[in-house]
Amino acid sequence: MFCIAAFIVLLFMGAVSARYRRYLSKAWSCTIRRVTFRPCDTTFKQDVKDHLLAPIAVRAPAMVRPASVALEVLAVLVILTTVWSGYTVVKSGLNLYVYGTCNKSDSASCSLGAEACSIPVETPTFAESIVAFDVVGAFGNEFSSLGETISALPARFRDWKAADYLPEGSSYLAAYDEKKETALEVIDPGCTFCRQLFNNIQEAGFDDKYNLTYIAYPIAGTDGYKFENSLLVTQYLEALKLQPGSANAADAALDAEEVPLDWQLLERIFTGENDKGVSFQSRINSMDQPQVTALLEEWLTEFGLSPEEIATVADTAASDEVAGIIAENKEIVETDIHTVKIPTIIFDGRRHDGVVSVDGLN
Amino acid sequence: MFRRITRARPAQTSQPSRTFDPDAPETSGRTARLTDFAYLGETDIYLDAGCQSLRPQPVIDALAEYYTQYNACGGRVKYAWGRRVDAEVADTRRAVLDLLGLSSRTHAVSFTLNTTYGLNLLLTQLPTGRYQRVLTSHIEHNSVFLPTIAAATRLGVPRIVLDRAPDGGLVYAPHELDNAVIVVSAASNIDGRLLTNLAALVDDAHARGGIVIVDAAQAIAHSAALLRGTGADAVCFSAHKMYGASLGVVVATTVLLRSLDISFLGGGMVSDVREDSYDLVPDDPGALLEPGLQAWGEIIALHAAITWAKRVRLDGLTPDLFIERMSRRLFEGLRELPGVTMVNAAASPVVSLYVDGQDSHRLAVFLSKSGIMVRSGYFCAHHYLKEQLGLPPLLRFSLGLHTTESDIDRALECFARLLKGLS
Repeated sequence: MFCIAAFIVLLFMGAVSARYRRYLSKAWSCTIRRVTFRPCDTTFKQDVKDHLLAPIAVRAPAMVRPASVALEVLAVLVILTTVWSGYTVVKSGLNLYVYGTCNKSDSASCSLGAEACSIPVETPTFAESIVAFDVVGAFGNEFSSLGETISALPARFRDWKAADYLPEGSSYLAAYDEKKETALEVIDPGCTFCRQLFNNIQEAGFDDKYNLTYIAYPIAGTDGYKFENSLLVTQYLEALKLQPGSANAADAALDAEEVPLDWQLLERIFTGENDKGVSFQSRINSMDQPQVTALLEEWLTEFGLSPEEIATVADTAASDEVAGIIAENKEIVETDIHTVKIPTIIFDGRRHDGVVSVDGLN
Repeated sequence: MFRRITRARPAQTSQPSRTFDPDAPETSGRTARLTDFAYLGETDIYLDAGCQSLRPQPVIDALAEYYTQYNACGGRVKYAWGRRVDAEVADTRRAVLDLLGLSSRTHAVSFTLNTTYGLNLLLTQLPTGRYQRVLTSHIEHNSVFLPTIAAATRLGVPRIVLDRAPDGGLVYAPHELDNAVIVVSAASNIDGRLLTNLAALVDDAHARGGIVIVDAAQAIAHSAALLRGTGADAVCFSAHKMYGASLGVVVATTVLLRSLDISFLGGGMVSDVREDSYDLVPDDPGALLEPGLQAWGEIIALHAAITWAKRVRLDGLTPDLFIERMSRRLFEGLRELPGVTMVNAAASPVVSLYVDGQDSHRLAVFLSKSGIMVRSGYFCAHHYLKEQLGLPPLLRFSLGLHTTESDIDRALECFARLLKGLS
């Protein structure tokens, strides 16, 4: 153990000082012997250890024995830390490649990936499990997560087609055009990065090149939803899609110029501001449900719906049918698309996790 | 020559407070270090003279003088510097013979790299068919032990490894010496045991057609009396264990040298060379072991070392008596330490020991941190210490003329404190 720990330490010290490089080959030879289950060069081990202990021996010889034990413990810790670090680097790299974030359970914490709202993982982290004295669970969850990432690797190489993941009754921003490819975005109405993507899409004129549709996916939190009113907004969005005359896939061709009501609602949430310059998305995120309902219905009135139609929309939003649609959409997002970052957008044969820049969209 | 060394001492070298005067006995106070070792740091306690002795200032000066004032090749040039080198080297050869009480009529002196090289030069060139066996002893270090293995194999004869008596004498039956090549050390590098029956061994060997080659590496510095006038066929030793510069010395009888099957050849050994043959020098048998250029400066410095050791006095004592006194102090002090197992049966300039439950290498490193330099391990005597006696690695303290009583006391104090803390 000590030889391997010495090699690890010398590797770093040798990188900055030639003085330590001369010991590296010895330490390497020792490490190779160790990992191939042969006896280590005890001379090297002892030399290193003795030289570390010598200053203690001069001042307080009685402390040599405990210090020697401490060095062995330290060596074990160095090795464990290094192995764990190596494992974390590999795992993070894999996650970054597969999911676009080095931290699958909290994608927002990874600065290497694109900006996004993370979908929290309910599984306790390794540290949480250890603190809860669930060692088996800690390792089990850890390796299960790694296995999941590895099994998702082939998906990274897949030719992604938005059409494969479209829910029934998808709504398109512009009139559906068979000559165009379809692009599908997964959004949470309360997620600020979805707002950013929406603005980028507008700026890039993305909907001119693609049949753009979406899945509204309210991100679940540890208690309820990550954004408290996302579910309510999603219910209204789905209810609007179900209203007669809505511009969904089936009847989009009937009225090419009309922007569907659900898209109008999204546009208002993502691009609109109140008279104090506060975005409506922020307002909705901080309101209680009756306030949000009132605001949505106020907008629907502005969009030209009669009070009766608005009442129907409200009833539909609260219906089991919409609940079923949202549940199906959740299944698509979590199982089929298997993303951990919101927004996610599928186009150009790839799944893009997180905000895509204007250039990226072009 | 002595006056020439003194006069020519380079002014820029670090000078001791006393200058070297070969005509005046040198003395020092009870605890003062010889000024010839004034370069030694206050906190440096060098107790590994058994490996290599420290060089007194006159030896360093002699070497520096050669390099700075007459740095020429010997034995082959006609200009003044070269002639001076030849004269100095000849003086050294005479001084070596004088030290051993031998005559240039019967013996020749050859210089080489070290004792091991000297022994190998002899053993690898012994003629085949002349000897019936190779004898050595268990206590020998590798410079004797290994070449005798190779020699027995090359000569196609058995190799017999004998015991040494507690007093260091070789234990043998006379018939074992029949036409034997006997290679033994005059003093052990483990515990300083002397080959007390050297004279009898030589007589018995010669009476039975054998030859005796003595490894005098440890004996030459402080037990040269054992070797004086020896009838041994060859004596090999190292100048660097007797206060000289790094150099090996072979003193051999001209009879032995002329009997060698010389196969290690080079310049300086021949009187004439033809396309496919050569003539070895007819009247300089010492040259038969000196192929190529020699370490002229080191050879010259050896003369300075021999002269210095002959003249120096410490507390009014000759080097041998001084070392004996210091050896007793060290031996007694170490023996009293709890947990210490002495390998030595008696005091000697070389004292080996081990401490139960403590690794000697670790102890050496710890002592080094206090400025105390001692040797640890098996001292190239693996067969005897590890295989035969089954001992763990040892710790070895060895003394030189640079050693003071305060050095020994401080080493003992630090060692005692260390052992107490580690126990």
